Amino acid sequence: MPNSGRSLKKGEKRPPAKNFAWRYYLLGCLLVALATLLGYFSGGLLAPTNILMIYLLCVTVSAIVGGFGPAILVSILSVLAFDFFFVRPFHTLNVQDIQYIFTLIVLLLVGIALSYFTSTLRRQRETSKRHEQEMAALYALGQDLAIASDLQSYTRSIINRIKGTIGQDVVIFLPDARNDTVLKAYSDSPEIDVDVNLFNTAMSSFQHKEIIECDSHAIKGAKALCLPLVTTRRAVGVIVLIKPEDAGDYTDEQERLLSAYSDLAAVAIESIQLADELHNAEILKATEKLQTALLNAISHDLRTPLVSIIGVLSSLQEEAMDLDDSAKRSLIQVAREEADRLNHLITNLLDESRLESGALRLSLQPAEVNDLVGAALEQLGSRVDNRTIKTDIPGHLPFIRVDFGLFVQALVNIVDNALKYSPPDSLIEIKGRCVQQEVQIEIVDRGTGIPEQDLPHIFDKFYRIKRPDNVSGTGLGLSITKGLIEAHGGRIGAKSQAGRGTVVSIILPVSADSMASERFNE
Amino acid sequence: MSNVKVLVVDDEDSIRRFLRVALTSQSYALFESTSGQEALSCVAEHKPDLIILDLGLPDIDGVEVTRLLREWTKIPIIILSVRGSESDKIAALDAGADDYLTKPFSAGELLARLRAALRRAAQIPGEPVFAIGSLKVDLLRRLVTIEDHEVQLTPNEYELLRLFVINAGKVLTHRHLLREVWGTEYGDEFHMLHVNISNLRRKIERDSSRPQFIITEPGVGYRLRIS
Repeated sequence: MPNSGRSLKKGEKRPPAKNFAWRYYLLGCLLVALATLLGYFSGGLLAPTNILMIYLLCVTVSAIVGGFGPAILVSILSVLAFDFFFVRPFHTLNVQDIQYIFTLIVLLLVGIALSYFTSTLRRQRETSKRHEQEMAALYALGQDLAIASDLQSYTRSIINRIKGTIGQDVVIFLPDARNDTVLKAYSDSPEIDVDVNLFNTAMSSFQHKEIIECDSHAIKGAKALCLPLVTTRRAVGVIVLIKPEDAGDYTDEQERLLSAYSDLAAVAIESIQLADELHNAEILKATEKLQTALLNAISHDLRTPLVSIIGVLSSLQEEAMDLDDSAKRSLIQVAREEADRLNHLITNLLDESRLESGALRLSLQPAEVNDLVGAALEQLGSRVDNRTIKTDIPGHLPFIRVDFGLFVQALVNIVDNALKYSPPDSLIEIKGRCVQQEVQIEIVDRGTGIPEQDLPHIFDKFYRIKRPDNVSGTGLGLSITKGLIEAHGGRIGAKSQAGRGTVVSIILPVSADSMASERFNE
Repeated sequence: MSNVKVLVVDDEDSIRRFLRVALTSQSYALFESTSGQEALSCVAEHKPDLIILDLGLPDIDGVEVTRLLREWTKIPIIILSVRGSESDKIAALDAGADDYLTKPFSAGELLARLRAALRRAAQIPGEPVFAIGSLKVDLLRRLVTIEDHEVQLTPNEYELLRLFVINAGKVLTHRHLLREVWGTEYGDEFHMLHVNISNLRRKIERDSSRPQFIITEPGVGYRLRIS
């Protein structure tokens, strides 16, 4: 059963030098004995007043060295010894001369006063020394945290500092970056077993901002002390100290230091959490913007083909319409073309999302430019059947290393654009050539061309040139094409003259094993 | 003669419906399964003449179904798959599938592939002379002509063309062609294959960027067009 409370310690406070205190009492006794012996064997050389001075010296010394307790003891012993040995009648504690009673009282008072002042002084010195040590420790942690740049190094410095000053194993629990209702444990000793019990206690400490102690299974008989890291706003984590069985309670200084450490750590961790949150919020905002743009662009382009397809199918379904065969055929043709367009669009969107997420894996193989262009034209199907497309690709052109399907998709996008933005009776040329270990493929149309101010942006995402003719498109095709070509280690560029046409060129390095191709040409 | 029996294995209801219409219109007898396990027992029970098998099944992977079937039957298998899963297609073809179609596909394409696969399975002793369009391959005399002009092929080019002819209409994977022509140790020399195909095309195709005979199957292999 974990017990909880605001204080770090239970039970009595123990002074730090308790183990050594008896030595000062012993020293005091020795001093008194020494003074007595000195007076006793001086053979009347020293007057009783002077012997008294020696006792006073003893009281002073033990007050300064031993503090309050030894000083009182020495004062009383001195008074008794002086009375016993040097005040008539000798060897009794009786006092004849009333003068000496006054002397004895003064001696006692001097001892008390001196020891009081010196011990106050010493306490002050010790306090300031402790403060200095604490300040140094905090300063060191502060410096560590100033250098640290991420959560990992923050936790490492905090763990190291606490371990260095308290000497116990430390586990830090921080909320998970993705889900702040789950705590994640950080520790530098892998052997610390963070079990369910410890987790639950840390969680409870985190939620209720309370110091909780529980049994730890990390080491047999050990206790775990959970200190919540609390800022003015919220709890940001929990520091857990693993206390071995034989470890006593914390001293005042350790307690203060721990509290200072946890305050500093809390502020530092909160600052990095806030920075993370800000960063995430920015990313989220950018993603949302992209998604909105994507949605706007594609909702139109995805729906347009569907409008035709549903329209055609419902017309065919409607018996009352009484369509003749040729009308039916042309309707079906429309639906078929629109479905193909939809398929092309979806293919592009899938490629785009793969490019964007980095999930695009190229399966590179040497390929012939002729073959690639052929496959692209094949894929465009009926759209190129009634167009004149001239290919000029020399048979000896070196091979290029590409992912066949994706590279064909890139070519399809470019040729598709050329088809869309040029008159139906105009020529489209596809040329291939090799220039200095690079293969260049050019797609040339004699269409409307691209205005000069638009040319630098045509490969940007969602960029569409404002044209009078209402040609459909997402503005994604060319940006995907660029992404695909660059994923192949190639370059893409466009030249255009308004009203005269556009040339899109792709440049790819020659496949390395293409150089050795001669040996296969039997 | 009883109808040809076709088993359709796909967990998508709408695709099964489309295939049902397309296949029954051609008077094929139809069986349907929605999972790999069901398909395996259906094949054992009904002994269909051909299987149309979707690769993405809910229980067993289509490639695995192909492998299990090939342990005891040579029944033709046509794979249905989506673009972008070329490695799955190759795995299925290497496991013994006969052909594949990439979704979305047209009914005409499906029926043509189906007929070709059934014809190959019937093992009608092929004519020693194969002709398609202007191309004639006389396997008996090892003679290849285009518009009655003899074409000079290297031994490897002829061997490639012979493989295409005896598997007319069937997709042949890169690795399969390399192993058959050059031997098992050449299974990864893709470049060598592409160069030879390129040379062969230059000799028999009119326009090698719009091939009429040897069709590239992107990322998978080649096939000889038969229609």
